[in-house]
Amino acid sequence: MHDTRAIKVWRELTRHRWRSALVVLALAASLAAAGTVLVTWALVREATVQGYRASLPASATLRLAGVADARMAALLQQVRDTPGVAAARARRVVTAAARGAGPWRNAVLVGVDAAGSPFDSADLGLLRDGPAAWPPAPGTVVIERSSFEFSAAALDEAVQLRAGPMGEPTSAMVAGTVRDVSLAPGWMENLVVAYASRQTLAALGLGGEANEIQIRADAGAPTRDAVRALGGRIGALLQREGVTVLVVDVPEPGQHVHARQMNSLLMTQASFGVLALAVSALLVVNLMAALLAQQGRQIAVMKVLGARPRELWRMHLTLAALLGLAAAALALPVAAWAGRRYAAMKGELLNFPIDGLPLPAWCLLLLAAVAVLLPMLAAAPLVRRSARASVADGLRDIGIVPAHAPLATRRVLAVQRWPRPLALALGNALRRRQRLVLTVLALAAGGAVLVGAGNLRRGVQASVDQLYAAQGWQLTLRLAQPQPAAAALAAVRALPVVRAAEAWRSRRAQRQGVDGLGHGTLGLVGVDLPSALYTPAVLAGRWLQPGDDATLVLSRALALDHAELQPGQELTLSIDGSRRRWRIVGIVDGGPQAVAYAPRAAVDDASRDDAGTLIVALHAGTPAAQLDAAMQVRAALGDAGFPVAGSQLQAESRRVVEDHLQMVVDFLGAMGWVMLAVGGLALASTMGLAVLERQREIGVLRAIGASPRAVMGLVLAEGLMVTAMAWLASLPLAAPISGVLGEAFGRVMFRVPVQLWPEPRAALLWLGVMLAVAAVACAAPAWRAMRVPTARALAYAG
Amino acid sequence: MTICQLRQVRKTYATPEGPYAAVDGIDLDVHEGEFVAIAGPSGSGKSTLLNLLAGIERAEAGELNVAGAALHTMGEAALTAWRGRHVGVVFQFFQLLPTLTALENVLLPMDFCGHLPRARRTERALALLGQLGLVSQAHRFPAALSGGQQQRVALARALANEPRLLLADEPTGNLDTASAESLLDLLQALVDEQGLSVVMVTHEAAAMRRAMRCLHLRDGRVVDGAALEQAHA
Repeated sequence: MHDTRAIKVWRELTRHRWRSALVVLALAASLAAAGTVLVTWALVREATVQGYRASLPASATLRLAGVADARMAALLQQVRDTPGVAAARARRVVTAAARGAGPWRNAVLVGVDAAGSPFDSADLGLLRDGPAAWPPAPGTVVIERSSFEFSAAALDEAVQLRAGPMGEPTSAMVAGTVRDVSLAPGWMENLVVAYASRQTLAALGLGGEANEIQIRADAGAPTRDAVRALGGRIGALLQREGVTVLVVDVPEPGQHVHARQMNSLLMTQASFGVLALAVSALLVVNLMAALLAQQGRQIAVMKVLGARPRELWRMHLTLAALLGLAAAALALPVAAWAGRRYAAMKGELLNFPIDGLPLPAWCLLLLAAVAVLLPMLAAAPLVRRSARASVADGLRDIGIVPAHAPLATRRVLAVQRWPRPLALALGNALRRRQRLVLTVLALAAGGAVLVGAGNLRRGVQASVDQLYAAQGWQLTLRLAQPQPAAAALAAVRALPVVRAAEAWRSRRAQRQGVDGLGHGTLGLVGVDLPSALYTPAVLAGRWLQPGDDATLVLSRALALDHAELQPGQELTLSIDGSRRRWRIVGIVDGGPQAVAYAPRAAVDDASRDDAGTLIVALHAGTPAAQLDAAMQVRAALGDAGFPVAGSQLQAESRRVVEDHLQMVVDFLGAMGWVMLAVGGLALASTMGLAVLERQREIGVLRAIGASPRAVMGLVLAEGLMVTAMAWLASLPLAAPISGVLGEAFGRVMFRVPVQLWPEPRAALLWLGVMLAVAAVACAAPAWRAMRVPTARALAYAG
Repeated sequence: MTICQLRQVRKTYATPEGPYAAVDGIDLDVHEGEFVAIAGPSGSGKSTLLNLLAGIERAEAGELNVAGAALHTMGEAALTAWRGRHVGVVFQFFQLLPTLTALENVLLPMDFCGHLPRARRTERALALLGQLGLVSQAHRFPAALSGGQQQRVALARALANEPRLLLADEPTGNLDTASAESLLDLLQALVDEQGLSVVMVTHEAAAMRRAMRCLHLRDGRVVDGAALEQAHA
């Protein structure tokens, strides 16, 4: 024979199995949502530790003018002997173009040496999942996995390579793929990264001298500033030896290039997982409150029989824990599965493999603990009240739910103009005020997140609209090599399909530090002034004006990456070794691109006025007509001696941007739906409890002539009224949630105008969704109420 | 020997019309092995007095010494533990826990009290049910039992921890005549054969006649503490 207290707990759970099932489902849904994010975060973190940090990434990269092998070997030894350097290696890195079965792509070719050679290091920048033969055999290349598909290359087939846009194409066989976890994914960066031996690069005409030294700092340089100082010392050492140091790049130590964005995104999503859990906790509170209220007399009887408070605590907390355990049993496999899939997606964004990583045990244990403890904590205050309640009061409890409607409500209900059934339904809804508030909160929270996600979607749309509204052209053409701007523009403007055209010149510039070395690069976009085709929204300062010279306007994405750069500041930039002071005059909304805009004439060599990119406004409106026009423009430029390396219609570029942004918005929307489902379950549970508690009243109503249909109508009316209240509450609640979402999205992706309120149409649509949820949630309780036999209802004793 | 001794016990309730003295300065002695009936009109304080004896209600004034404990000096937890061990309570509406079988209902107070070894509890519960003619119903839920059977299960439950005092609040009030007689027979047998002390609230003459003494309450005061013969008259 088992302990009767345990038997009672179990029977209470199974006696109202549908009510228990609703709570378990709600807990499981929110736990699965929160668990998915937790599992994703845990796997990504594990991949970071096992993947990124285990690859011993470079702490600093010094880009140099090419150095002959014999000299480089001696220099490298000096670098290795520098205090603070744990490992160092030299290699050749060249910017090139690569072409598989598709178009030419920008490429970076990395020339490496055999393991054990003086240039190599076994303790720095380890690659993984590569072919057995390393470095790649002569005449072959190995492509980084994340850019393999993007390159359109195929294994054991030739890929074309050339040093620059006009370089002589050569070819190499693709011997395999390799993963370099320190890189951002090639498909995201529009870049093909390939590895070959330095001998192969030399044979392909791409040079063989090492032009890059990478170092890994030891534990003595844990911060970025410390590594910068170390890099500066090594740079100075190399310069003293006569080596030209172009740039010293120092990434954030121990952090993947996309880690900040990924963490921010996961944190935002995790906060909604926690919110969903909180909502489901409200449901547990509702259930336990109903259970304890319904069992007031039973608890009093148990106290008469000798049940001490600690036994009542144990019994009811066990009941809550069992609900949590059941929810955990449902949610954990879902969270593990969905989390692994989501983590794989994130892994792709971070260039980490997630496959094969074991799910951390702590993660599942934490979820199970939350599943068990959350309902226990939610139930605790109610159990405490119940355990401390007077036995006499409990024994006097005759199971009639007291009317707690406030005086004002009763006065409203007393107004004769209210239809009596409606007044009764409203009165019923207000009888259990705490439960009403919790149910409304649960539904409203779900709704607010959904509305918030909808607002964010609109904000993103508005932002994309604004971004592309600022871009008054339909076609972007990248010239194979810089050409005189005036001549290229004349060739384009002569075409009837062209409405207007402007010429841009993009360059990379090195930021110069006080030590005289390059510290990171900036993308400069030299624009035609005055520009009729590009009018970005100004966020601070001003846009470029005719007459501006060494003047910069930062895109917001660049300003976010470099918080130290503000309008009014000056900085020194080096373009092709030529240094100049530039003044920042403003920040504009430039979309996701981190670039600085400048007058084209200032970007280019002052003696030339070349263009690298043409932006063209077309007369054509339809996609097909625009494509046709684009081909005409390309042909005309080719005929005029200005070959085009690539072209893109704005419509295509917009679709790519929208797809990336929408992925994030959709995930947030999915969280909103999960929360709404939890809210719906809360409503179903509340209405189920209301019907159960009022069986005797329902019997009385039936006895005095209420038809089953009328009883069902009362339950539905009550549920719909609760839903209407939740709808009203969700609208103001959506404002702060929208603000938080917009802010988080702005940090992760790019700034979007925060929409705090839904459009009237969206709000009405949302009301419709909620009413549909309410109808589904109330259907079962209403049906049950309708089928209650009068005699049984009158005899119901709880 | 006295099992209940009440001196100047007073209990007042707050009502919308003002304080209402449900028990107003009652003195009472109940002896070991005595069967006492408490009668009176509705609102006279019968159930309040019984609840005071059970330590369910707390008196505002006076002294209550029941089954070896000074109830007026004890806290809630101590009262609960004392009640579970020394007092059995039978209610008018049985108050069996609907999710437990008859046997489990009888086992429950033993599990709460814990004074019997776990291995002996089922044996005792079955013995009690057997004594009351309910062994065949042991594994049935209360809803499947008749009113009389439910009240007998409630009696078995009240006797589970071998109490010295049994308090019964209108135990026959919800039973048919035959079941009521049967239950009263059982109570009488417990007093006669086992020396149990019984205090029973009732308004039924048949029940009063079974008691050795019948107290009449009116407005919270004992108006007549008659011997059995007087009650019969």
